[in-house]
Amino acid sequence: MPEDSISFRMTNKQNCFMCFQPKVEEFGAAHGLPMKVIFHLTLCLDELVTNIISYGYADFDEHPIDVTINYVDEVISIRIEDDSEPFNIFEAPEPELDVPLEERKRPIGGMGIHLVKNMVDEIDYKREDGKNILLLKKNICEKCCSTDG
Amino acid sequence: MIESKENGITVLAVDGNLDAEGTQAMEVKVLALLEAGETSLLFDFSGLDYINSSGLRVLVLAYQRLKKASGKVAICGVKDYIQEVFEVSGYDKIFPLFTTRGDAVSGM
Repeated sequence: MPEDSISFRMTNKQNCFMCFQPKVEEFGAAHGLPMKVIFHLTLCLDELVTNIISYGYADFDEHPIDVTINYVDEVISIRIEDDSEPFNIFEAPEPELDVPLEERKRPIGGMGIHLVKNMVDEIDYKREDGKNILLLKKNICEKCCSTDG
Repeated sequence: MIESKENGITVLAVDGNLDAEGTQAMEVKVLALLEAGETSLLFDFSGLDYINSSGLRVLVLAYQRLKKASGKVAICGVKDYIQEVFEVSGYDKIFPLFTTRGDAVSGM
């Protein structure tokens, strides 16, 4: 049986995509997850970790970013813990999807977070002991698994 | 990334991952093409496995620049799960999405 849980630590000084992408792919393959689900998980981690690294630190030091991925009862959970500035995903501005592209004040603003919100079924955020703790949950339903995407 | 010319359209075939590194390479290429005065750009994504919001941003940049120059930008060959990113972002309404390169070249 493949491990139902993996944990790893990255830092804001690393090329994080190169760190987590092979791990997510390996975890997904071991559990027979469809390509589409593996893509969703990779995209969520990418957008969130990029956000943390781009906007989260007021200093130039190295900071850990801890990730745990779980797969239990057809639900995948991703937990991201970091010590960056407080970032409550629910307070992030939504992109102006209804405004024509030319008239948007922020042509791409908030798109990464918008994608994340659409790729998972449940999001929880808390700030604890100076850390952001974000928990994402994604149901792996029959419907998703029957597609070849 | 392979660049070619078909019917006056510049085709950029992007393979693999548009992660931060891949996106940066694509942005440099797109800016160079726009600088050189190209007005019709087709992104062939049939070999593309991954894109994120930064990758989308480069496409939007090309769209905005080319719109001002009465140019065109289109995309072809996206995989199902990447098509979903275009739908969720609303960009499927901005970019013509063609199934094959042939369809795109004749339809642009």
